Amino acid sequence: MKLNTLTIKKLRRFYSIKRGYYAFIFLGLLILLSFAAELVVNSRALIVKYQGKYYFPTYTDMIAGETFGLDYAYETNYRELKANFERKNDGNWVLMPPAPYNAFENDLRSDSAPALPPSWSQRHFLGTDTSGRDVLARLVYGFRIAIFFSFTLIVSTYVVGIGIGCAMGYFGGGFDILFQRLIEIWSNVPIIYVVIIISSIVVPNFWWLIIIMVCFGWMGITWVMRTITYKEKARDYVLAARALGASNVRIIFLHIIPNTISVIVTYVPFSFSSGIVALTALDYLGFGLPPPTPSWGELIQQAWTNFSAWWLGASVITAMVLTLVAVTFIGEAVREAFDPKLHTVYE
Amino acid sequence: MAAYFIRRFLLVIPTFVGITVLLFTVTRFVPGGPIERIIAQAQQQAMEGGRAPAGSETVQKQPLSDDQIELLKKYYGFDKPVLVSYGLWLGKLLKGDFGTSTRYYDPVWVMISERIPISLYFGILSLIAIYGICIPLGIAKAVRHNSSFDNASSVVVFAGYAIPGWVAGILMLIVFASHWEIFPLGELVSDHFEELNLMQKVLDLAWHTVLPLASYLIGSFALMTLLMKNTLMDHLSADYVRTAMAKGLTFKRAIFGHALRNSLVPIATSFGNNISLILSGSFLIEKVFNIDGMGLLGYESVVDRDYPVVMGVLAISSLLFLIGNILSDMCVAIVDPRVKFE
Repeated sequence: MKLNTLTIKKLRRFYSIKRGYYAFIFLGLLILLSFAAELVVNSRALIVKYQGKYYFPTYTDMIAGETFGLDYAYETNYRELKANFERKNDGNWVLMPPAPYNAFENDLRSDSAPALPPSWSQRHFLGTDTSGRDVLARLVYGFRIAIFFSFTLIVSTYVVGIGIGCAMGYFGGGFDILFQRLIEIWSNVPIIYVVIIISSIVVPNFWWLIIIMVCFGWMGITWVMRTITYKEKARDYVLAARALGASNVRIIFLHIIPNTISVIVTYVPFSFSSGIVALTALDYLGFGLPPPTPSWGELIQQAWTNFSAWWLGASVITAMVLTLVAVTFIGEAVREAFDPKLHTVYE
Repeated sequence: MAAYFIRRFLLVIPTFVGITVLLFTVTRFVPGGPIERIIAQAQQQAMEGGRAPAGSETVQKQPLSDDQIELLKKYYGFDKPVLVSYGLWLGKLLKGDFGTSTRYYDPVWVMISERIPISLYFGILSLIAIYGICIPLGIAKAVRHNSSFDNASSVVVFAGYAIPGWVAGILMLIVFASHWEIFPLGELVSDHFEELNLMQKVLDLAWHTVLPLASYLIGSFALMTLLMKNTLMDHLSADYVRTAMAKGLTFKRAIFGHALRNSLVPIATSFGNNISLILSGSFLIEKVFNIDGMGLLGYESVVDRDYPVVMGVLAISSLLFLIGNILSDMCVAIVDPRVKFE
């Protein structure tokens, strides 16, 4: 694949902005790691050696306990299996992931009530929540869902918003007035009201939430796009292009949109983090993804009701700040790199 | 231009009707309204009194007779078609009657007007703080672009932006209110507020204001500062500023006389909308700190399916939003003479 020299130049400039570049590496690694989360945070073992045979249960169907000589037909409890094998010491072994819990199991103990503080010995590195679920596992899997949610939301919102906004600013007139009315009506229907009302009819799942949020969230970028296009349209280069006989489509896609990219791009990181924040807020209120889906908002809700369980608030808020700050740093670097205007500095 | 804005003001009316009709219709067709709740309550009472002689089979299945349900529908205006009862609602609204809460049986206007001063209080305080801090900070950052001051303040601004206000609120509650016990755990005034003298009242209010106000600020702070900085930088590199400098204008005058005025345009596009922010507030922050503002009222009334209150809050906030949009366009027209609305 051959890149446009301009694009290479932009990428070089992005690379030269260290704060954004390292944030990009950091977030990229986190996202990659979260795709392989099953290998790091999981209740299933990575490798089991039993009677000379190797098992890799991570991505397979569940393996019944009977397979390993246990007396039950449901899914093997690998943590117990490991302890079992170690006790017997006859050549069988289990390799567990570093954090041997998944996001759904309640690790309840007879001698203490959840939430339990972080403990290395029990491998609950960030403690457990109020139902005894591992906080780290819920953070990691919640992160993966939030990233995916926000990404999907951004793509859908921007396609709709840029299209409509550009047309509004460019064509103006009746089309502009009509959509202004529509946007005004739409923005006034508070999204949270709609979600709450809809959640009384159906339990909102991932795609329901995306659809609702695109339906009621496309106005922001549309409005921005309208204002910029309105201003760009009045500039000479558009007039020149038109005088040369360029069609409306050509003017919009080859002249106006490239010139507005630097402004649009500055909104992307803000939209990305606001997608994550919106999902977290909905989950915090209890109107987001249905429980027991791991989510940051649900952890925040627990932290808010249990001030004494400080590790809940500490871990989820730290995770949130790290992610969102990284996203913002990337955004700032992207803006500087993709903005073709190099700023003059006066001495 | 004047004709344009007069037309815009007249257009508020159909838009307002559009918004309210939309939500009014939605609320009518969603289960869980007041009648369902009364039936459920009656059912519960019948279940509890089930051992009493009256507890026959029919009572447990449907505690209210059809006549009673008809009466209830009539009472709540559910017996008429949607548009007719919407017309009735609008007619009453024009006379200043917002109706009665179906949950607390208080007049909606009384409930709303109790909350307005609280939201207004936080709205105005944060508005002053945001514009007062963000515009000068944005200018300073643009002028000293890439300096250590710029980088250091960027980190602070980004970190502040990264945490949404309500999450920061929870963090501050955990640290300052629960752990160190410096600030109260929420609410706007102490329980014994009435017994305090004026000085103590002011102090008490300020003491309760610090954390929520900080939460309000954190959210809007970064966006405004960065917007200011980025647009000012765009304008600083524009030809007309270079020309002005080349002709011997001092840097200061080039900024304040030329570049700054043009960079205020994007800020102005959002200025008018502050009018609705002032009054509606953030229900998330209000929920976290347990402050009874407009935002929380709206949120709770939706959760409770208290539709007259929902409609009342919506009517006020949407009217403010519509007027705010027009004010924004007016601001744009004032600061940018090239923009012509016709």
